[in-house]
Amino acid sequence: MVALIAKYFLFKFLVIGSAGTGKSCLLHQFIENKFKQDSNHTIGVEFGSRVVNVGGKTVKLQIWDTAGQERFRSVTRSYYRGAAGALLVYDITSRETYNALTNWLTDARTLASPNIVIILCGNKKDLDADREVTFLEASRFAQENELMFLETSALTGENVEEGFLKCARTILNKIDSGELDPERMGSGIQYGDASLRQLRQPRGAATQNKQQCNC
Amino acid sequence: MERAMEQLNVQLNRLTRSLRRARTVELPEDNETAVYTLMPMVMADQHRSVSELLLNSKFDVNYAFGRVKRSLLHIAANCGSVECLVLLLKRGANPNYQDISGCTPLHLAARNGQKKCMGKLLEYNADVNICNNEGLTAIHWLAVNGRTELLHDLVQHVSNVDVEDAMGQTALHVACQNGHKTTVLCLLDSGADINRPNVSGATPLYFACSHGQRDTAQILLSRGAKYLADKNGVTPLDLCVQGGYGETCEILIQHHGRLFQTLVQMTQNEDIKESMLRQVLEHVSQQSDNHYQRILTSLAEVATTNGHKLLSLSSSFEAQMKSLLRIVRIFCHVFRLGPSSPNNGNDMGYNGNKTPRSQVFKRFRKAELSSGSPKCEARADCPRYKPPDPACSRPVQWMLAGTDAPLELLWHSLDEWLVLISTELDRTQKNPSSSSSSSEIASLLLKQRDSEHSKLPSVLDQAMGVEVEVYPDGEDVISMTANRLSAVIQAFYMCCSCQMPQGMTSPRFIEFVCKHDEVLKCFVSRNPKIIFNHFHFLLECPELMSRFMHIIKGQPFKDRSEWFYEHLLAGQPDTDMVHRPVNENDILLIHRDSIFRSSCEMVSKSTNEKLKQGIAVRFHGEEGMGQGVVREWFDILSNEIINPDYALFTQSADGTTFQPNSNSSVNPDHLNYFRFAGQILGLALYHRQLVNIYFTRSFYKHILGIPVNYQDVSSIDPEYAKNLQWILDNDISDLGLELTFSVETDVFGAMEEVPLKPGGTGILVTQDNKAEYVQLVTELRMTRAIQPQINAFLQGFHTFIPPSLIQLFDEYELELLLSGMPEIDVQDWCRNTEYTSGYDPQDPVIQWFWVVVNSLTQEERVLLLQFVTGSSRVPHGGFAFLMGGSGLQKFTIAAVPYTSNLLPTSSTCINMLKLPEYPSQEVLRDRLLVALHCGSYGYTMA
Repeated sequence: MVALIAKYFLFKFLVIGSAGTGKSCLLHQFIENKFKQDSNHTIGVEFGSRVVNVGGKTVKLQIWDTAGQERFRSVTRSYYRGAAGALLVYDITSRETYNALTNWLTDARTLASPNIVIILCGNKKDLDADREVTFLEASRFAQENELMFLETSALTGENVEEGFLKCARTILNKIDSGELDPERMGSGIQYGDASLRQLRQPRGAATQNKQQCNC
Repeated sequence: MERAMEQLNVQLNRLTRSLRRARTVELPEDNETAVYTLMPMVMADQHRSVSELLLNSKFDVNYAFGRVKRSLLHIAANCGSVECLVLLLKRGANPNYQDISGCTPLHLAARNGQKKCMGKLLEYNADVNICNNEGLTAIHWLAVNGRTELLHDLVQHVSNVDVEDAMGQTALHVACQNGHKTTVLCLLDSGADINRPNVSGATPLYFACSHGQRDTAQILLSRGAKYLADKNGVTPLDLCVQGGYGETCEILIQHHGRLFQTLVQMTQNEDIKESMLRQVLEHVSQQSDNHYQRILTSLAEVATTNGHKLLSLSSSFEAQMKSLLRIVRIFCHVFRLGPSSPNNGNDMGYNGNKTPRSQVFKRFRKAELSSGSPKCEARADCPRYKPPDPACSRPVQWMLAGTDAPLELLWHSLDEWLVLISTELDRTQKNPSSSSSSSEIASLLLKQRDSEHSKLPSVLDQAMGVEVEVYPDGEDVISMTANRLSAVIQAFYMCCSCQMPQGMTSPRFIEFVCKHDEVLKCFVSRNPKIIFNHFHFLLECPELMSRFMHIIKGQPFKDRSEWFYEHLLAGQPDTDMVHRPVNENDILLIHRDSIFRSSCEMVSKSTNEKLKQGIAVRFHGEEGMGQGVVREWFDILSNEIINPDYALFTQSADGTTFQPNSNSSVNPDHLNYFRFAGQILGLALYHRQLVNIYFTRSFYKHILGIPVNYQDVSSIDPEYAKNLQWILDNDISDLGLELTFSVETDVFGAMEEVPLKPGGTGILVTQDNKAEYVQLVTELRMTRAIQPQINAFLQGFHTFIPPSLIQLFDEYELELLLSGMPEIDVQDWCRNTEYTSGYDPQDPVIQWFWVVVNSLTQEERVLLLQFVTGSSRVPHGGFAFLMGGSGLQKFTIAAVPYTSNLLPTSSTCINMLKLPEYPSQEVLRDRLLVALHCGSYGYTMA
């Protein structure tokens, strides 16, 4: 017997950052636990979702992976609304992508909900030899801008899951403390049970159905 | 002797008693016969007789008989024969005796609601807890039938009110399923488990919902029933939606507010029947303004998410597209309903409870800000459709400002996408050779597609690569996104239209199409199927249709006619039902000897709707009915319509085609007859019946609303057409024709000067304006002379065929649709062909030509015939009787010197094909087909 009234949330997440920082690979790694070998530039916006369990609560993460290229800015900006969390990604081997963070941050803070929870991800941790951005300066940037910070590797999968989960956990804490009100529209949080049936399916089946998933 | 007397006396006595009672007075010896003697008495509760008969007999009261092996006690309990029941019990009948299905007398009494019998059985210690073979107990039976009073008595004797049957169902389950409110209450009061699942996990609430028992669900929920799914994950809400039980859904939502979202989310589930879900949402939305507005907002949000997903290239196009369109359809349906009726809670808005409205409004403002779109602001003050009734204008106004606000986000994305594509297009066009940025998307897409197949290992930075190979054109960005964007455009159109009165196109949408004209045209020309699949709006608004007309006309005839019928029959119920039962009153009864008049009468008596649904014809005095008769009717009737006796239609110069007679007014009722003729033609087209009439090219053009040209004149006056041609072909400056924009016509014997345009008598025809003159004079001859007839005909025709649909075709195709594909005998054609300017029958080019003609499809042969003769028909009697502009004129092939890529041409008035001397059969075939498919419509000056 399965009780369907179990409290369960749906969070809208964004993955943002400059082109070539590995946003789509992060998403792919998180959703399918593999590295996408032949990744290309994202056209417009891509979509993925995964149900996770955070602190005993079921949360469905609806993740919008945006194109980093400037030409798509106009299209991707319309996806910011209603996002509860965002992964702001830069490439630790490219200072250029690090320098662009301020712009992305402004976009996120103005276009999405002001309460959006953002985690800064320094991706391509596996390429430490080519590092152009130190852990220290990035964590200082994160401190100054009230961001959480992690260095990740979409290739090895290191810290990828943690990034998404940390973000989700922070949002849940904010809900518990009353800082965030899920009932308020535009918070990027919804209740629902539309996907609970998938929960009962074996994990593999759920990922296979990703394409048809109508969450 | 005495003994004998005594015996006789006894027998006599018995006989008298038996005769007086009209029955036997002594039970037979064997139980089987005895029981059948007693049974009817028990059924009728004739307890005295039963008692008398049983008195001294050895009958076994527990004797089981019949197929189901019941005792007499069963019979008594079943029939409510309480006296007999007591009698039998007193004589030792077993109150717990079970029949073949395991039923005790108590079961039967409970099933039939025999209160007294139940009481007596209980007195005699009948066991209330016995289950029959299906596991049912007496309380199950009472619950099924809602016998609350009896249940109330019985339940005190029951050890376990939650006793389960074989399926794990308790009395509460069955009571809920059948919606017996008081029974449910009684069971609950007696301690029944409100959340008890049966073997498949279904709870009482589940049962109540599966049958839409609203009040029962209400009771259960208010008594704290949990909302539980069955073992397959089917929830009570699922069941309500599947059954379309709006009221029960409403109750569920009242108690579990979160189900509201779940209900809205269900719009994405394609397994759920749309009509049922719509019905439920319709009901819920009508509960209050607040509900209405919440449903629309939520639907809009779901649609927006879905639309965005559709725009994500990795999502499944089919699934997302269907899902989006379904949600938007439901959204529009609910929107159109409007908020609940005026007396129902609409005071909420006035009574200070402004939260819902102001909330939505705030959200709207926010969307405006975040999207930063100037369009939103423009919308706020642009004049919008206001319903005529001021009473309902308020809700509609706030709906417009409010609930579609979430969708604005999607429309905004759509807009951004189209702008993006248009910049891509621009760049490709301006800079086709170079590249690096112009076709980056295209190359990316191509690469992406390739990579799906290749499994080349790549290292990280390559995968993230900034340097991308360059491809010469940007076509693929469009072909990959066009379908997705088009589906969103369709959704946009639906949302725009549902705010408008029926049949009007929203100005906002027209503005949208104009803005993205270039991109939309590009979509359509790359993949014309888009029109068929998503751009239905083209059909509904001619002003937009005209923008795409040339692209549509370029589609194969077959596709267009399929599309035509698909849309023509859309909205008709059960179009696929072949054997529709015909109402006797709907049969058109036609007299053969006055077919025209009686048909006219019958058709005008029937309604258009009925005629659309199907035609049944019977000829007076004949038995036959069915499709064959209908076909015959159309055939004969169409022949009658052109019967010269009615003077409705006149023959063309070559005698094979017809057009309205300008003098038809000799028949005073002529316009009614033209309307009738239009109706018949429309009806024939509607039901795919062919008619036996061929009209002149110009009349087909009139039906299609295409302007006529001077060559059409040749069908009624070939000499005059030649003269017009001559004027056009030669410089008339120095000829001193002194023509003005007027003609002299003979109106009943008096010559009259008719100006071709205002002040036309004073305007000279010059070399510069001669084309206009020819056009005007053509229109005078071909159109103005028969304008009233054409209008009447079209009035009839359009009752069945909307003008927007028929314009998909050109005049040649219309002829094929109306009159069908003529059979062409290639042997006969070949025999009656002449050759000139260098060709002879033995020429290899001619040999190839006939080989190619033989290999053509029937449709292509017709095109060839039309190409050369201007008509798709072979005259009666075959090709030998082919007519030209002036008398018999055989099909002729003339040689033309070949230059590369030269196409064949034709002179239709002399039936001549000008065939270049092609170097090979392949080239000939190729060039001929190109000419047929491109050149069969429209003339060029040859």
